[in-house]
Amino acid sequence: MIAETRASLIAAMLLLASPIAAQAATPRDALVMAWNLDALITFDPAQIGEVNGNDIVYNVCDSLVGFDPKDVSRIVPKAAQSWSTSADGLTLTFKLRPDLMFPNGRKATAEDAAWSMQRFVLLGFGNSANLTQWGFTKEGIAEQIKATDESTVTITLAKPYPEGLILSAAFANNDASMILDKQVGEKNAKIVDGKSDYGNAFFKTSPVCVGPYRITKWDSNDVVILERNDNYWGAKPKSRRVIIRHVPESGAERLLLEQGDVDVARLLKTEDLLALESNKDVRIEQTVMHGFQYLAFNGTDPVLANPKVREAFRYLIDYDGLGRTVLQFQGVPRASLVPEGAFGALDKKEGQPFLLDLVRAKALITEAGYPDGFSKKMILSANALSPTIAQHIASNAAKIGIKIELEQMADAQLFTRGRAREFQIQLVGWGAGYPDADSMISRHAVNPDNRPEAKLAQYPSWRVGWQSLEINQKAEAARMERDPVTRSAMYHDIQDFMLHNGPMAYIYQTVRPIAVRSAVKDFVISPFAVDYGSASK
Amino acid sequence: MSGVLTLRDWLTADITTSPRQASLQRLYFGWLRLRANPLALLGLGIIAVLIITAVAAPWIAPGGFDDQNLNTRLLPPSAAHWFGTDDLGRDMFARLVYGSRTTLTIACLVAVIAAPLGLLVGTTAGYFGGWVDAVLMRVNDIFLSFPGLILALGFVAALGPGIRNAIIAVALTAWPPIARLARAETLTIRKADYIAAVRIQGASPLRIIARHIVPMCLPSVIVRITLNMAGIILTAAGLGFLGLGAQPPAPEWGAMLSTGRSHLTGAWWLATVPGVAILFTSLAFNLVGDELRDVLDPRAD
Amino acid sequence: MLTVWAKQLGSIVVTLMGLLALTFFMGRMLPVDPVVSIIGEQADQATYDMVYHQLGRDQPLIKQFLLFVRDMMTGDFGNALFTGHRVADDLMRVFPATIELATFAICIGVGVGVPLGMLAAIYRGTAIDHAARVVGLLGYSSPTFWLGLMGLIIFYAALGLVGGPGRLDVSFIDMVEPHTGLLLVDSLWDGEYEVFWNAFRHIVLPGSVLGFGSAAYISRMTRSFMLEQLRQEYIVAARAKGLSKWRVIWRHAFANIAVQLITVIALAYAFLLEGAVLTETVFAWPGLGRYLTAGLLAGDMNAVLACVLIVGVIFIGLNLLADVLYRVMDPRTR
Repeated sequence: MIAETRASLIAAMLLLASPIAAQAATPRDALVMAWNLDALITFDPAQIGEVNGNDIVYNVCDSLVGFDPKDVSRIVPKAAQSWSTSADGLTLTFKLRPDLMFPNGRKATAEDAAWSMQRFVLLGFGNSANLTQWGFTKEGIAEQIKATDESTVTITLAKPYPEGLILSAAFANNDASMILDKQVGEKNAKIVDGKSDYGNAFFKTSPVCVGPYRITKWDSNDVVILERNDNYWGAKPKSRRVIIRHVPESGAERLLLEQGDVDVARLLKTEDLLALESNKDVRIEQTVMHGFQYLAFNGTDPVLANPKVREAFRYLIDYDGLGRTVLQFQGVPRASLVPEGAFGALDKKEGQPFLLDLVRAKALITEAGYPDGFSKKMILSANALSPTIAQHIASNAAKIGIKIELEQMADAQLFTRGRAREFQIQLVGWGAGYPDADSMISRHAVNPDNRPEAKLAQYPSWRVGWQSLEINQKAEAARMERDPVTRSAMYHDIQDFMLHNGPMAYIYQTVRPIAVRSAVKDFVISPFAVDYGSASK
Repeated sequence: MSGVLTLRDWLTADITTSPRQASLQRLYFGWLRLRANPLALLGLGIIAVLIITAVAAPWIAPGGFDDQNLNTRLLPPSAAHWFGTDDLGRDMFARLVYGSRTTLTIACLVAVIAAPLGLLVGTTAGYFGGWVDAVLMRVNDIFLSFPGLILALGFVAALGPGIRNAIIAVALTAWPPIARLARAETLTIRKADYIAAVRIQGASPLRIIARHIVPMCLPSVIVRITLNMAGIILTAAGLGFLGLGAQPPAPEWGAMLSTGRSHLTGAWWLATVPGVAILFTSLAFNLVGDELRDVLDPRAD
Repeated sequence: MLTVWAKQLGSIVVTLMGLLALTFFMGRMLPVDPVVSIIGEQADQATYDMVYHQLGRDQPLIKQFLLFVRDMMTGDFGNALFTGHRVADDLMRVFPATIELATFAICIGVGVGVPLGMLAAIYRGTAIDHAARVVGLLGYSSPTFWLGLMGLIIFYAALGLVGGPGRLDVSFIDMVEPHTGLLLVDSLWDGEYEVFWNAFRHIVLPGSVLGFGSAAYISRMTRSFMLEQLRQEYIVAARAKGLSKWRVIWRHAFANIAVQLITVIALAYAFLLEGAVLTETVFAWPGLGRYLTAGLLAGDMNAVLACVLIVGVIFIGLNLLADVLYRVMDPRTR
């Protein structure tokens, strides 16, 4: 009773806030977002390896081709107006639009495009794998990616990959084909360790690109401001400015949104979203992302190396219960490693066959030879839902005698431990780079060399010390299959195997909830891009 | 025979026969005065309740602190769940009760580590003076001028999160003020006649420090550590708040508060309950410490 | 006299070097690898090795430390790996933010704490004393992060009396030139009174929450100093001469504790500067404390070392100042 009175009192106080909210408003010609910008360290497309940077730079730098926001498995033209593949499948040709222009008024040519892609490989940041895994090399890049005339970029492929796959994986995603101003880059290049940085130090804070916006201010962990590029070839962005404020607290973001101090809130937790759901001034846009949270089991640990033990864990996760409660607005339960929405993915039902089943789990660990259970440590991020999910799994595990000790840490530390194979069980996330089954399978199922000294830390499969030569072969075959129907079937086969035998237990596919004030219209949001320029007020 | 000498007589004797009796007498008279102050008694009462709660936790909350149920999550306070339930459907009252164990453990162990360490460093520096003093006090300065929470944060991050490391880290931030205090006290005592007398008798410095100087410093160190207890609890809660204290599912008030942060308006009890608990506990230590200081501070007499 | 100062200076230098060494080696104990935050989690080993080398992490520890100290001597703090900016540039922004917050807080602390402590001492043992003591102790005992959250809900969300998280509403961002980096000062400088008012609305809550704690400390110390003065014979004598109670308190007692008070306030200010970590987190205040925490958790020792150095210098400086004031102005030590 007291509780109810108290709750309604707070509710009443919150209602009181509405008249004030009417006074506050963001400037009409600016789109104001609240987000956690902690991870942001660079705007150089060649270097970006995190969500903030990708999201922002998408609105600053056009790539040659892009994903159709309505169906990401379709490729659409952007800076390139058309493309073609030679009959032998080894040459890919892009024709650029004639009206590409940098914010400084200079015309962008194929020369700029080729240079941008070459430096992408030459700089060798983590991102460069998006090209190097398709056979582009530092040594050969000058020949492999070339401007053959002012508006033509010619790509020589190492192997005849399926066109859809190579376009999606190498050119539409992850900043690889974004066009930077070569002149500015060369003028500002610094020599580091006897090698050019191709303008990295300069572009890091102010990339000069063909794109709807340009970055005019970036105060780390505070604010990023974009101004409209009036020389842009495409649809004129509806807001003149985009202001992204660093607000690392969900509750604070919600308050800002309710008060009308921001138009868009990007870091909201379930509780705040639930409260906003009933607010008429706000709508919530949910996007199912191509990323996962999963448990990684270190195979160099004798107990966890046993596939039966790992399968048992899948029955310790209450997929349904979590989906109904904790994961509301944040995730969709899914156990298969290929995200729903990607080419070649199992459908919703096939991709999530597990139910909480303690008896089954107990039987599996008994079969594995551990009827009395065992003790293991799990490392996890101290942020977001990880502590809740980890405690849920640990509590279920305890019921069948598996004792799991939790250790929370900062993300940077969690990644360091994972890359060094220094963990027993890790609760961690991974984002697929492109909407094709190949993206997850080539990193999570394929492991080219499992030796510790190989240090293939970019492969989660290596981090858990798991390797199957058969899967390696199957994945390579699927990658080279040019018939889409056959290729899809091959991926289904791999997923079926991984579902029960793989080294990871996938828990959920992440959802990106974005709360937007109703006054903001036509906002185009898709798993791989948020189009700031589309939003009007 | 004029009757047995009672403890009370010994404690109230006009003429003391040993330094120990003298300092115990000070404590005893202090207690008499403390007893007369309602606020201090309130503080003592809260601490007593806390200790009883911690000891009797399994009887007070028989369900344990990790009884999860996704179907009963985020329930508001009711007869079944006095303080509501958290995001995994666990009873907040039970978690609060068990959390008192964590808080008391951290506070006590930090005190037990920091007080002797500070005392040792302070008395040694004060007694020997010269370069020993210079070196020890420079180390002391270094730790003092380091932002407390950051120092704790750094060490916990380095050693790995968890209650044991949190205790070590907080103790590292807690000893320097004590060392300073002990040194100041030692400086005033070391020139005293009776110390000189003991020294002439051939007592080793170690013995002098341990038997004659430390007991004299003890009362003010006790006051200081009681006053600092609140700071210790808040630092520990801060570590928990940042996810680096006691690890889940162990109930720790700071960590509970941090969980509650994401449910502030939807489930206000999640942050309010542990927040109030932290507030009351540190308030209790402050009330007692504040009074103790008035009582034991010789200047106040 | 000169040798005293030389000694003082020497010990400060030793302390600062010790501080840096402690930070540096603590940083190297962290199981966080800054290389990973630069190259991204999905990067391969070759990239890792390249950046590892660029950062000089393959050099011996001692050499890395000495290199850092050398660069620092020339005013070069290097790049902050976790923000992508130069540390010096970052500090130019975050440091004034913290100074502004801490200064605001110390004003509250002094404004509330000194009168409270005086009253408590003058009316010792009465209800006023107890009330002042409880208020003070509450401030001392509150978890500031909790207080901040509650304050936001009540005063910002429900009542709309104050500004929300951050230093300004978005529409006011970039409207004044950063002359000093202190928004309250800059806005007056440029004559932008609306910006001033907005900045004020934003700083009021975090400033008060932070100031509450130091008000408690200051009031306790004021009370204790005051009690000591009131017991002094000259006060008793002055009262006996028939001087009015308040006149005696103001002219004699307060004047005598002023120096001690300044010392306490200087120390409280130093603690505020370093104690703002959690408050800054709750209020999304882009200050030094949050910068330091984020840098530490990302294993970015360039940023952390620079911050620790600054905080250390200020802390030691304020201590020294308090010390000197004490020596120069206190009649008893003169």
